Amino acid sequence: MIYVKDLSKTFGDNQVISHIDAHIKPGEKVVIVGPSGSGKSTFLRCLNLLEQPTSGTITFDGQEVTAPHGDINHIRQHMGMVFQHFNLFANLTVKKNIMLAPVQLKLMTKEQAEEEAMRLLRLVNLEDKADSYPVQLSGGQKQRIAIVRSLAMKPKVMLFDEPTSALDPEMVGEVLELMKKLADDGMTMVVVTHEMGFAREVATRVLFMDGGVIKEENTPEEFFSHPRDVRLQEFLSKVL
Amino acid sequence: MESIKSGFYQTFILDNNYQYFIRGIEITLLVTVFALVLGLVLGVLVAIIRSAHDQQPKNKRGIVLRVLNLLCKVYLTVIRGTPMMVQLLIMWFVVWASSRATDGNMVRCAVLSFGINSGAYVAEIVRSGIMSIDKGQMEAGRSLGLSYVKTMRFIIIPQAFKNVLPALGNELITLLKETSIVTVIGLKDLTKGAMIVVANTYQALIPYVAIAAIYLTMVMLLTWLLGIMERRLRKSDIR
Ligand SMILES: Nc1ncnc2c1ncn2[C@@H]1O[C@H](COP(=O)(O)OP(=O)(O)OP(=O)(O)O)[C@@H](O)[C@H]1O
Ligand SMILES: [Mg+2]
Repeated sequence: MIYVKDLSKTFGDNQVISHIDAHIKPGEKVVIVGPSGSGKSTFLRCLNLLEQPTSGTITFDGQEVTAPHGDINHIRQHMGMVFQHFNLFANLTVKKNIMLAPVQLKLMTKEQAEEEAMRLLRLVNLEDKADSYPVQLSGGQKQRIAIVRSLAMKPKVMLFDEPTSALDPEMVGEVLELMKKLADDGMTMVVVTHEMGFAREVATRVLFMDGGVIKEENTPEEFFSHPRDVRLQEFLSKVL
Repeated sequence: MESIKSGFYQTFILDNNYQYFIRGIEITLLVTVFALVLGLVLGVLVAIIRSAHDQQPKNKRGIVLRVLNLLCKVYLTVIRGTPMMVQLLIMWFVVWASSRATDGNMVRCAVLSFGINSGAYVAEIVRSGIMSIDKGQMEAGRSLGLSYVKTMRFIIIPQAFKNVLPALGNELITLLKETSIVTVIGLKDLTKGAMIVVANTYQALIPYVAIAAIYLTMVMLLTWLLGIMERRLRKSDIR
């Protein structure tokens, strides 16, 4: 589904991603872990071109994302992204947050989008917040809404960048639960997270990034019980 | 007491002098409102071009964008670097030199001058508003597949506008008061009206104090209206 070939990214002369190759298959739940500054966010953001790679190619569903004059807006419609800081549109109500993109991109009529928004809000038990503004919500509520906002576009893959890192501990559970539900429904997911429990339980594959390269990748069982890379062993001993 | 009474009589009643004030208010408001609209349109456009240029990575800036950005920079530098009165004089005595001195021509010239001038200040105000919006808002819009322009229009500009409304209000109030310099091209705005009355009646106190009070009233009205608008826009901040 997503092919990454020889991807590199430098900021100035800081090489953040070095020659990464990766392939994400339909239905996979890939969890990326690694120390701070190892390039996890940058890698994820390259996938939908929020960061412009310095070199290499990314192909999604047969379309080259990195093509110089490709229609990136069209590609992004099928790649949902969830951010650490939610990034709900502050000037719009919850319902309008969900409706904006499908309506503006003419994928749904206003009525259809409204119906879909309410359906999604019921899914996360937040239908009573439909007319609230983002400032009126808790972090956990914001993140669940950010997730269903992406879902309204019916994406083929969802990218998560530390979706629970900005949350108070008591709200982490509700967001992880929603992500598990998505995983169970067969969504293809790429998740950067520090939640090792989630990685163990949900991932079909875990990647360890360090210094801009993928140092190790394996099934969660092997990854956590028999880490081979020394840096990964160090990393796991710190976080587990 | 008697002299004030006769002063009022001469200022407003004699020869239907009140008409100078009524007509003056009309002209002042006309120039202000149209210059405001022109200034906003120009200002928002320039602000968008400037921030699009600054937000785009260097290698993705098209030649068109770079040329537009350069033009905007020249515009901002020239307009903010020269006095309003000089701009107005050039507009009327150079650009409009071959036109007859009708009210219509003068109003059009004034609207254009003040609009162009105001646009430069509005542009910098709006740009600072755009820059103040968290970049996550743009990223969220773009990650959903919305274009740069659509994200600007539905997400960034409304929030930026709300943040800079007080500053824009100040700009509008300044504009209203500054229109009094159209007297130099002979347009009969409120100030010019009072000057004519003073010349006809040989007394300055009441006409000038009167227009001061009229300007003040208009500014207070504007301030009140802006306050209402601001509270409306703050809706999304209520916790
Ligand atoms: N826009 C940018 N400009 C310059 N340097 C950047 C930029 N974004 C990231 N970097 C640098 O790239 C490196 C990798 O950053 P990245 O955010 O991808 O790490 P990360 O693995 O996501 O870390 P964390 O766990 O802290 O989120 C860091 O050294 C960071 O300073
Ligand atoms: Mg990160």
